[in-house]
Amino acid sequence: MTDWGLVLIPAMCLVGLTGSVLLAVPPLNLRLPVRRAGWLLSLFPAGSSVLILSRLPSLSAVSPQSFKLDWIPSLGLTAGLYFDHLSALFGLLITGIGTLVVIYAGYYFDQSASSRSTISPWREWRFLAFLFLFMAAMVTVVMAGDVLTLFISWELTSVASFLLIGYRQQDQAARQGAFKSLLITGAGGVALLLGLLVLSSVTGSGEFAHILTAGDLVRSSPLYLLALALVALGAFTKSAQFPFHIWLPDAMGAPTPASAYLHSATMVKAGIFLLARLNPVLGFTDEWFWLLTAVGGITMLTGASAGFRQNDLKALLAYSTISQLGVLIMLIGQDTEIAFKALVISILAHALYKSALFMLVGIVDHATGTRDLRRLGGLVRTMPIAFLATGVAAMSMAGLPPLFGFLAKETLLATATHPNVPPLANVVLPATTVIAGALILAQAGVVVWDSFLGRPRDQSLHPHRPPAFMCLVATVPAVLSLTIGLLPEPEPIASFLANAAAAVYGSKVKVSLALWNGITVPLLLSAVAVCSGMVLFVLRHPLRERLSRTDPRWSANTLYRWSVGLIDGSAFVATRLQGGKLRTYMATVILGMLALVFGFGDLAQWHWETPLTLPTLDTTGEIVVLRIFALLVVVTGAAATIGLPRDFWAVVALGSSGMAVAILMVLEPAPDVALVQLVADILTVVILVLALARLPRSQRQRANDLMFLQSRASLVRDSLIAVAAGAVVALVTLVGLTSRPRTSAVTPYYEDTAKVLAGTKDIVGAILVDYRALDTLIEIAVFGLAGLGVYTLLRHASVKAGDHNESDATDRQSIAGAQDVFGIAGAETSSFVHALAYVSLPLAMVIGLVHIMYGHDQPGDGFTAGVIISLAIGFWYVVFGFRQVRRQLTWLRSAPLIATGLLLAIASGTAAACHTGSFLGHVDWGEVIGISLPRGFALSTSFLFEVAICLTVLGSASYILDTLGRPGATEHESAGK
Amino acid sequence: MTNHHLVLLPILLPLTASAVALLLRRRPRVQAAWALCAMVTSLAFSLLLLLQVWRGQQAVVFQTGGWAAPWGISLVGDYLSVTLVVMSQIVLSMGILYALGSNDSVVKYPGFYPLFLTLATGLSGALLTGDLFNLFVFAELMVFSGTILTACSDDRYGTEAAFKYFYISLVGSTSLLLGVGCLYVSYGATNMASLASGIMADPQKPLVPLAIAFLMTTFMIKSAVVPFHFWQPDFHTAAPTPVHAVLSSVVVKLGLYGFMRMTSLLFLAQADTVRGILLVTGIIGVFYGGLGATGTYDAKRMLAYSTIGQIGFILVALGWGTPLAMMAAIVFAFNHSLIKSAMLMLAGTVASRARVKTAAFQAITGLGKYMPFTGLLFLIGGLALAGVPPTNGFISKLVLFRSGIEAEQYTALLLIGLASILTLVYIVRAFQAIWWQPPAPEALVKPAGDRLLAPALLIGTVLVLGLWPEPLIRLAEITAAWLGSPDGYIHAVLGG
Repeated sequence: MTDWGLVLIPAMCLVGLTGSVLLAVPPLNLRLPVRRAGWLLSLFPAGSSVLILSRLPSLSAVSPQSFKLDWIPSLGLTAGLYFDHLSALFGLLITGIGTLVVIYAGYYFDQSASSRSTISPWREWRFLAFLFLFMAAMVTVVMAGDVLTLFISWELTSVASFLLIGYRQQDQAARQGAFKSLLITGAGGVALLLGLLVLSSVTGSGEFAHILTAGDLVRSSPLYLLALALVALGAFTKSAQFPFHIWLPDAMGAPTPASAYLHSATMVKAGIFLLARLNPVLGFTDEWFWLLTAVGGITMLTGASAGFRQNDLKALLAYSTISQLGVLIMLIGQDTEIAFKALVISILAHALYKSALFMLVGIVDHATGTRDLRRLGGLVRTMPIAFLATGVAAMSMAGLPPLFGFLAKETLLATATHPNVPPLANVVLPATTVIAGALILAQAGVVVWDSFLGRPRDQSLHPHRPPAFMCLVATVPAVLSLTIGLLPEPEPIASFLANAAAAVYGSKVKVSLALWNGITVPLLLSAVAVCSGMVLFVLRHPLRERLSRTDPRWSANTLYRWSVGLIDGSAFVATRLQGGKLRTYMATVILGMLALVFGFGDLAQWHWETPLTLPTLDTTGEIVVLRIFALLVVVTGAAATIGLPRDFWAVVALGSSGMAVAILMVLEPAPDVALVQLVADILTVVILVLALARLPRSQRQRANDLMFLQSRASLVRDSLIAVAAGAVVALVTLVGLTSRPRTSAVTPYYEDTAKVLAGTKDIVGAILVDYRALDTLIEIAVFGLAGLGVYTLLRHASVKAGDHNESDATDRQSIAGAQDVFGIAGAETSSFVHALAYVSLPLAMVIGLVHIMYGHDQPGDGFTAGVIISLAIGFWYVVFGFRQVRRQLTWLRSAPLIATGLLLAIASGTAAACHTGSFLGHVDWGEVIGISLPRGFALSTSFLFEVAICLTVLGSASYILDTLGRPGATEHESAGK
Repeated sequence: MTNHHLVLLPILLPLTASAVALLLRRRPRVQAAWALCAMVTSLAFSLLLLLQVWRGQQAVVFQTGGWAAPWGISLVGDYLSVTLVVMSQIVLSMGILYALGSNDSVVKYPGFYPLFLTLATGLSGALLTGDLFNLFVFAELMVFSGTILTACSDDRYGTEAAFKYFYISLVGSTSLLLGVGCLYVSYGATNMASLASGIMADPQKPLVPLAIAFLMTTFMIKSAVVPFHFWQPDFHTAAPTPVHAVLSSVVVKLGLYGFMRMTSLLFLAQADTVRGILLVTGIIGVFYGGLGATGTYDAKRMLAYSTIGQIGFILVALGWGTPLAMMAAIVFAFNHSLIKSAMLMLAGTVASRARVKTAAFQAITGLGKYMPFTGLLFLIGGLALAGVPPTNGFISKLVLFRSGIEAEQYTALLLIGLASILTLVYIVRAFQAIWWQPPAPEALVKPAGDRLLAPALLIGTVLVLGLWPEPLIRLAEITAAWLGSPDGYIHAVLGG
């Protein structure tokens, strides 16, 4: 089944893509003019055509050729090709017209280059590359073996179309047209993907070979309507059906070769192909009939009538394309044998005459510089060949004998008058078809007559003669529609078309290409259409004048503008929600949290039923007074931070609250935690006060005022949110305290093993540096970052933001030359204080060392050691000033301290890993090496870890102190005054 | 007990490297090269870890310090965490590579690479840890690194944005701590595996619903889920480009990881309620993000909003919660990380060519004329974001839609289908504005901007994964299956 040869057909087009890029490489694009490049590159699509043709004789009508690749085996998704007569028909159109268009494009761009004075390398390789990208994708669409291959290439055609429409980027209309087309076809693409996935989920496979046999299953499925709607949406957007047709006229900003190729002959037929392909699965239902007939019919009329108004030749052709696409959609909806005969004939006929007409319009455009019907005329004198070709193609478009288009119209009318058409439709359908036919005929007349015959309306136009080959290329499809019509009975073509139609219909279709079938109803209707078309043509001037003056107030474009407006409007609202105020952000976030808590907590359920046992205060013993006192301090201190008007007092209140917490912990008794709380609290207060000292008084006052400078309502709102959040936390704590199990799941283990495995009696210490050493390792990294962060924010970021005019480069100078600011409240300190400071630092170091060495069995650890030393250093900063500290304490370098601390911890952990096989495991190195140490001290990993913690904390704290103690800002402040 | 140090390396390598980089702060070039080497090595080891998980078909568990599961801290490299770690480290490596070729002044700040590496440590750690409290610690590391990095950004709003982020993150951290506290009080452990088995045995403890609420708050803040998203557009836009590329692609995935663990491991009994919330917020997010991106004035900000939308798609998949949907969520998350980081780097490249570095459309309109190759990459990346084939973004959309159809969630599908059109709108508009519109007459362009190597590599991956998605899909499929049986995780961690 796997036929690799099939891959060659789209692959040839991809080679063309590469070729067009290669030909644009500098030496080549000078030597080889773009028209030669066009000829050369046209070999690739021609090759594809030949490949398709060579397959035709061996292609059986019942079993298609296929190629399959397991693309995503995990999902059972395949990528594959499926080649039957329908694919062959479309494939031949795509590659055949593709060949002509590539040659034509060469001349088209060469001609535009001729206006340039000097020989310059051509730059149109991008256009050719996009064209080949489209070609490869389009060939894959019509040969797709499964829904995914189809969809992928389908989307690629949209992308290629977008790039081609927007090729003239400087032109705003082209950009907007490209956007519109991609938006509409892209939206349809989403629907199509969903539809195809629904379809393959219903049938159980994505392969067409399977899906096409599962029509009954699909039609009886409850998802049928969904699948139909989604797939139809995809097809209608792509094939420019009402009301999605609006992108096609706007797509005419593309260079003409692209318009001729994508937007008339091939890409817009992708939707037709898709519905035709899926007709055996989705078709043969009432919904299918009415949907396709209605949409197709409306599109046919809309296109035909709107086209009649146009003055731009390309726009006129675009609308007639829309009309023709409507016809094709309508035909697919009929599900009668004759309809499919009409379908294949119409597809072929339309592709031939429309591509010819577009290319000819491109020639006219280039020869005269305009496509405006009000300015053209009398071109027959300069371009007779083009006139003849246009005449033939236009006759085919008008459906006049002996052209192929006549046959298309006859079969269309035969379909419309088919006895199977249900009532109502059997009147409306022929009538609309006749009206549309008349309008199209009149337009065909306009194209030929008003541009080639008569007098030139604009004397300023000086048309030049187009290159002969360019005209010739454009003539080829026109001549083809003539010959197919004239050939007596082209049996191979007829049977080929019959097979293609059969693939759509699902059973055999008879196709004869004879022009004369005797006098029948369709022929009479056709005559009516021709006569009324003639009348319209004769009356075209007043009619068109009138029509172009009445600008329809409501069109599908209005709908588009509304949708885009809706998107933009809601987008505006969405971005307005992001107001930039942290206060609102925080309020929303906390409200969201509360909503989740109340939503999930289901508080009514458990809270009120299980009576909470309020924790009782242990009133026995004498320390109860202390406990109550501490509790009071905690609460009042916290409350005071909100109420106190001066920030300094608020900081002090916060500190006292923290101290009281430490007391409570001592009473618990949890001396370890209490100690940490104590030193951390002091450090916090010191840092906050130092930070406050750096801020100018006025600025602090303003910040304080601003805090309360808001409406009463929002103050109340914020307070309520804060109280609610606080209440939730209180509730959680309460429930936590009352409902927790008496013994924790992990504590007994820690108690049992701490001494034996971690070498300590103190389980808090063991948890920190042994059991959960990783937490601590990361925490010290965080602590180090905090210091670095303070430094960065105040020294680096604020400089960037223009707060200070100092920078890192002047760092050392500022140290050397800065006027020292030190002392308490600016006053020089006494020598007694100096002496105190000189003593305090070594003392703090000794205390720190003791904490580190013996902390494992007693309260105290590396963290407290680090903080205590840092506090002593902070004292130095106050007493001696920044410069003096930096000069005397040369070892105090923040970044190396932090880095060394971290590296020491990691190294200790790694060494332990080498010894015990576990990173951060516990090893008593003293024991391992066998040295005797003082009692109570062990040279263990715990010790090393504590040292590391101490170093990092010291480094981080010194970062902060260094930044806050730096004289720069104060200097700046005084300078600013 | 298996003790695999390999799980440790993606955490430890960046951390060590960060400390060393801090020592190298006076040698900027050496420091940058060192950071890149370390990150790439770390990536190599995480790939090795993935290989080991794949081969062993089970989680690689490392008990730090040799302390058995509930007592120490377990690091768990299972399919989910390792996949996400690989994803993160790819983007992180590319971020450093981009920073090496960047002209921003922030990358010359001596603290930049150390902070970048701690960010990497925090992210890998948060993904690999098997302990909720440890997750909190790693998340803190990320918050600090991210805040500082953004504070010293070239963007003048950097400090303000960092401030906002820091405060909202504090709410998130508090909430996480409360959640962990609730669980610890109820089940006496913070180890996820023992918590999971405890909750399975007795899911009705009074604090469990509150724990879910708190954890959800945290993860929603982390992933910027509407209405917890407010910090994200401000913060991400102001971040330096290489950092933004990491934040907006992989760091925001942490919350999603949390939701996956919540619904597939920790809270099985309440998973359906959680999923319901995720589905609704996801759909809101898809629309909000898309509209915000359409309405904004700045390319980087547009991509930040777009992240809200794309996260929304993943939330919808998590909300469906079927194995296929979980697979879709993983594939989507992985692909989005690559696409979004590439797009941000490209936007940064364009911004670096503007006279005054900015990504505001006003300033960069028409600049694309001078950088056609960037335009090609941007177009491919943009189409990937919009889910257009043949990119990995399409694969994401494909598996997402498929999972929705399989779950018979047609309404949600139609809604997200509609919203996905918005992506096309803003991407195409941005592309046209930068590359198709003619530049303003007074517009000046700098001769050189940031290097394109990193985004080009990422876009290459986007295409490769679009054409040959099988490995990723297979991995995601196995991961989803693994998530479907939480016993495997619990067993691997707790043993026995």
